[in-house]
Amino acid sequence: MFLEIIDVIISGLINGSVYALMAVGLTLVYGVTKAFNFAYGSFYNMGGYFAWMLLIPLGMIGGYFSVFFIAIPAFFIVGYLLEKVLVSPLRKYDDWEMKVMMLTLGLSLFMDFGYQAVFGPRIKSLPGIIEGTIEIGKVVLFQQDIVIFILSIGGMLCFGWILNNTRTGMAVMAVAQNPAGAQIVGIPKDFIFAATFAISTIMVGLGGILLCQKNFIDPMGSTNIMIKAWVITAFGGMGSIRGSLYAAFILGMLEAFVGWYFGMIHVQIATLTLLLATLAVRPQGLMGRE
Amino acid sequence: MILILSVFYCLMAIMPLFVGSADYIMNILIMILIWAVIASCWDVIMGFAGIFSFGQVAFYVIGAYASAILSVSLNIPPVLAIIMAGVITGLLGVIVGLPCLKLAGPYVALVTFAVHMTLIPFLRGPLGRAIGSGGAQGILTIPPIRFFGFAFSSGHLVPFFYLTLVLTIVCTLLLVVIIKSYWGTAFLALKDSENFATSLGISAFKYKLMVFAITSFITGLFGALYAHYVGMLSTKMLSMDVFTILMIMMVIGGIGKYPGVVIGAVITVTINQLLAPLGMYRPLIMGAIVVLLVLFLRDGVIGLIQNLSRSQRKFTEKNEPLKVAPKGK
Repeated sequence: MFLEIIDVIISGLINGSVYALMAVGLTLVYGVTKAFNFAYGSFYNMGGYFAWMLLIPLGMIGGYFSVFFIAIPAFFIVGYLLEKVLVSPLRKYDDWEMKVMMLTLGLSLFMDFGYQAVFGPRIKSLPGIIEGTIEIGKVVLFQQDIVIFILSIGGMLCFGWILNNTRTGMAVMAVAQNPAGAQIVGIPKDFIFAATFAISTIMVGLGGILLCQKNFIDPMGSTNIMIKAWVITAFGGMGSIRGSLYAAFILGMLEAFVGWYFGMIHVQIATLTLLLATLAVRPQGLMGRE
Repeated sequence: MILILSVFYCLMAIMPLFVGSADYIMNILIMILIWAVIASCWDVIMGFAGIFSFGQVAFYVIGAYASAILSVSLNIPPVLAIIMAGVITGLLGVIVGLPCLKLAGPYVALVTFAVHMTLIPFLRGPLGRAIGSGGAQGILTIPPIRFFGFAFSSGHLVPFFYLTLVLTIVCTLLLVVIIKSYWGTAFLALKDSENFATSLGISAFKYKLMVFAITSFITGLFGALYAHYVGMLSTKMLSMDVFTILMIMMVIGGIGKYPGVVIGAVITVTINQLLAPLGMYRPLIMGAIVVLLVLFLRDGVIGLIQNLSRSQRKFTEKNEPLKVAPKGK
């Protein structure tokens, strides 16, 4: 019983850390560009399929190291182009928010069934990033879990550092606070919008590569991931990075415990109940500003 | 608006004279009627009231399941069950609408879409089975509608078509009256500037709840009608491609350009039926259509027509001699 609970807590922590990575990307892109991205889950699957394609059929030398090395620039380019081609032309309309939602929902359907058409409808599994276990007393830890945890937290801290300490990062923050003001002082607003979208694509794509090792790649699972990322973002407060960090771990734990105690089918109901309860009591989320 | 609608329904009413024997086409026509009303409801809540509700398909399914469960498990006659399903859906709409009143745009989309996503595990899981949703299998034996001993089953499509047509016209009239009345103006005012509208004494609380209640009531009614038409239900109705079909209607018709969605429904249901042989590639194409339409068709069909007539007017104005209006009046 005690050991089981330890296992559940560990699985909650791992899921929470990857969710945090994805949710921070989402809160960043919403905070800066105000675009509500419904295709977020499909980018997660894109990460999974990208790694699968490089590792299994192509047999990439260097394993996950070269996957990450190729994935980061590739996802940046995909995200950048998508923003430039699909989202930014809509910005000139009055009701562009609604149009972006519809467009990304269509894009998500297109991508999901595209995966199905290309890779087949079956779920795929990725090899672990590292094999083997560590035993501490009676608790058995997978080395894979530890690496996933370290990589996702490390990736998030890295993005946080970039955001707070580099010129580009500060430009992103400036655009988030006041787009017009940022443009007046010479920050290329359109580039920042596209770059933020691209960075969020990288973050969710990396999340996909990391989490798909544990949870398989399911071509139809993207809506679940999208809802999860959005619930974390809304629960933590839109635009608040620290809030989504806390929310991601709370939700990861909640999910692990509900899944263990009541069964996996209730996880989504519990998640969404949490969302509704939070929004009813505190519409701005856990750490969001009014 | 009324011209387009009346032409559309008159055309629909005489269609069975020509194609009444072809069940395939009659089925498409019935689906067009049902979808036209559901899409109109979505247009009223999203285009007119400006609430980003993404729960329209959820309300449709709630209505369908409510009526099916009432008539199968409790043996309530279908006509009564349909009306009760409408009322239940309307109440649920108000319950969903309540937390949405305090929230800003994207949050509303999230909450309503969350309702949609919760319905799938709810109806498939033990909770749904407890109220009689049939779990993953769905409900298979829904009785057809009976009026004084006459059954409107899917065996005789022409009577069912006219029943749907009558209901559709009633609900469309209701929506038109609402849009044209003080309420419709209030919705528009709240959409354009909520603070200013409330300062003029338009209660955001009252009108937003009202729009949730009315649209979900009508949507539930037609969901129930659909349930008794096809005779079986499953959670497949909640899949994303049904949602996308609804969205394409909206984009083709133009958001907030009311009778546009009706034209959108005609085009979309037909395209969907034509693409059916493509199997798995159909949703793929539908997704691509949404992306392209949102990018290139700004205000839908109605917007196109308006643009055309406007440019025509500009053209004629240019060729007419310039008239100088007398000043100082």
